[in-house]
Amino acid sequence: MIQFERFTLANGLKVIVHRDTSTPMACVNVLYNVGARDEDPERTGFAHLFEHLMFGGSINIPDFDNVLQQAGGENNAFTNNDITNYYLSLPASNIEVAFWLESDRMLSLAFSDKSLEVQRSVVIEEYKQSYLNQPYGDVWLELPKLAYKVHPYLWPTIGKEIDHIKHAVMGDVRAFFQKFYCPNNAILAVSGNVTVEQVKALCEKWFAPIPPGNPPMRKLPVEPKQTQARKLELERDVPVDAIYKAYHMGARMDQSFYAMELLADILTDGNASRMYVELVKNKKLFSEIGAFTLESFDPGLFIISGKLSEGVTLEVADEAIQEELKKIVLAQVKKEEMEKAKNKTESSLIFSEMSILNKAMNLAIFEVLGNAEDVNKETERFTKVTEVDLLVEASRVINENNCSTLYYRSKSKVNGN
Amino acid sequence: METETKLDRNTMPALGKPSKIDIIHAVESKLPNGIPVYSVNGGTQDVVKIELIFPAGTRQQNMPLIADTTNAMLEEGTTKHNSEEIASLLDYYGAFLETSAHHDYASVALYSLGKHFSKVLPVLEELVKLPSFPDQELDVYLTNRKQRFLVEEKKVRVVAARNFPALLFGDNHPYGHATKMEEYDAVKKEKLAAFHKGHYSSNGCTIIVAGKIKDAVVNALSDNFGKDDWKGNVESNGKAVTIESSSEKKHYIPKDKALQSAIRMGRMLFLKNHEDAIPFQILNVILGGYFGSRLMSNIREDKGYTYGISSGVVFLKEAGYFQIASEVGSDVCDKALVEIYKEMDRLCTEPVPAAELQLVKNYLRGNVLRSMDGPFALAERFKQVWMHGLDYSYYEKYINTLAEITSAQLKDIACKYLQKDSIYELVVGNKKV
Repeated sequence: MIQFERFTLANGLKVIVHRDTSTPMACVNVLYNVGARDEDPERTGFAHLFEHLMFGGSINIPDFDNVLQQAGGENNAFTNNDITNYYLSLPASNIEVAFWLESDRMLSLAFSDKSLEVQRSVVIEEYKQSYLNQPYGDVWLELPKLAYKVHPYLWPTIGKEIDHIKHAVMGDVRAFFQKFYCPNNAILAVSGNVTVEQVKALCEKWFAPIPPGNPPMRKLPVEPKQTQARKLELERDVPVDAIYKAYHMGARMDQSFYAMELLADILTDGNASRMYVELVKNKKLFSEIGAFTLESFDPGLFIISGKLSEGVTLEVADEAIQEELKKIVLAQVKKEEMEKAKNKTESSLIFSEMSILNKAMNLAIFEVLGNAEDVNKETERFTKVTEVDLLVEASRVINENNCSTLYYRSKSKVNGN
Repeated sequence: METETKLDRNTMPALGKPSKIDIIHAVESKLPNGIPVYSVNGGTQDVVKIELIFPAGTRQQNMPLIADTTNAMLEEGTTKHNSEEIASLLDYYGAFLETSAHHDYASVALYSLGKHFSKVLPVLEELVKLPSFPDQELDVYLTNRKQRFLVEEKKVRVVAARNFPALLFGDNHPYGHATKMEEYDAVKKEKLAAFHKGHYSSNGCTIIVAGKIKDAVVNALSDNFGKDDWKGNVESNGKAVTIESSSEKKHYIPKDKALQSAIRMGRMLFLKNHEDAIPFQILNVILGGYFGSRLMSNIREDKGYTYGISSGVVFLKEAGYFQIASEVGSDVCDKALVEIYKEMDRLCTEPVPAAELQLVKNYLRGNVLRSMDGPFALAERFKQVWMHGLDYSYYEKYINTLAEITSAQLKDIACKYLQKDSIYELVVGNKKV
């Protein structure tokens, strides 16, 4: 249970405070309600590139990191398809420095040419490091494109192609900031050894003077229902074949999401999970197998991925996965399986609340999803799922006509050496 | 706006008084059979982490992969339960197991909700005392490990990380040995059982517990691990091996068509109790140990050659070393190397400016606080001194050194340890672009 208080400034900035006196530290999390899904299809990768630029100096403070480090702090940020999130931790006695820093870059960036030039290169290296120079790295460029036809989840957060990043110019940067980086498009969550009064006063001082903006209403194209199985085969220089199957499922806050999370757990989490026992241990068809959801805010994907054992064909592996999934839609999962999955989930939630940073981040994320109070309803939402619910939801999702399948072939295997 | 004109956004708000760092010590006790237990009681959540530590790392093995495999196989079956049953028992109570083998020790840790601790502890007991290393499980484990090995070999970063220690220690030394594919085939059940018998017994065991520790937790520990039923003869280290550093300083492992090349550079240092250990760690932070470090500022933030570059110090029981790691665009690899040497040289020739030193001191002080936040973190801090035969005075010394160290002292340390001709260099990737 995370206790918190909430208030909204006149300029629309939503603030959440969680007090935890067991620590000498404080965390400040600023979430901007903009992600890769809000990008122009011709200029993808921008939300993420922009995240890098947020460290390139703000209007009054030339070096964000330098100042924060002087205050004993540490920070990072991430961008995904849905949001851009900045977080920092520092000794609670220096909390005002965090307010000074975060409010200044919300007020305005320095828009330095040098920063843009360098961060373009840095992000291109990141692109290579994560997607191009890694075995199986380009799966995450190809699979979403296969599964989505109109919804912007079809491109990855880093961008469709390197050229989109190469061609970003300062005009784009300014426009993006104007459009999305305003107090009424952000959520500030503060956790740790602070009081609500203290945070209120600091907000009035540092954030209240920032004028509100006009963030656009989000109107994203709705992905039409998939009605036919989709298939793609790639051949790459990797040592073993791999398979990826992506099924369309519900959105993050749909009750169905919780059923699919539990199903993923039952299928592949740990030595007692179904697919691990059947497909890895008993039939030895896979060397590793995993099922997971992408936790995306809009209707997302339920993914099964596996690396094949020596001598197993992709067709056989695919069939074996489908056979296991058929068992799920033909009969309810056992009561003990369900109970185990729920207990594991509940326990993970309790462990995650040991960290004040996790708490601040989760509060901000649930607030942007609709209501910070939902952070405390997660356990209940998992507990509520019955074996019947899971069967109903799995039957809706697990269907080849709702699936995009990627066969990722090893080139050396194809050439027979 | 009126408030805006009054508000000074150009000046950094005054920093709070640096709070006194209270280091909460682990409390030592002993189980009836003599096993030392170190407990850190605290935190807001009703959770417990128990870690059993054994002298069962690669330093103690007599052939490659035995320490790792023995450790990983503990949860794959006992004389009473198979792998699936063990996992089911732990899953049911939402408990998590974490097994790991390191160079100097091996560990088996269990995370549990406080309310279920006494129910899952017998599972931990069973897999530590009665593992059966079943053939079928071992076969699956080794086959899948070999596959993973092949996949990892495709990553320049991994190849560099695997091969760099061999340059410093020699491939025969357990600290330096780079695993070879065929070594998996020599791993046999009997070898694992023998290694287990010689290294996982009450005589060599140390326990660290952290979280909300109630009487029930203490009693359960005695019941499950405090008896004399798992005594053994702790075998000493594996055969003594001398360190044989490579005679060449520069090494290159080609990977055709690699878009990025992985760089590892570094050198042998000293033990953690060495008088230069703390000053060198502070110097390391300035060079590559935080986001604002010189390597990051130059090679990422100024040149854009990489997504990240860092340096670090590794302390083992019988040695210590320093290393720099990065993946850079293959086309700019040579330029990046020049800049890295330049940054090391700059530390040897120019004193660190006062403002930069002060910044690093403040940052590290904050880091000390952060690294001691919560019972699990405190348990880790305890382990990191205990492992090296040190005690909490190490942290006091660290905090004092941090407050007092000067630019002149850091320059001396740099001159002593960062001379270009003492640095080993390994590039894995593509130099032909």
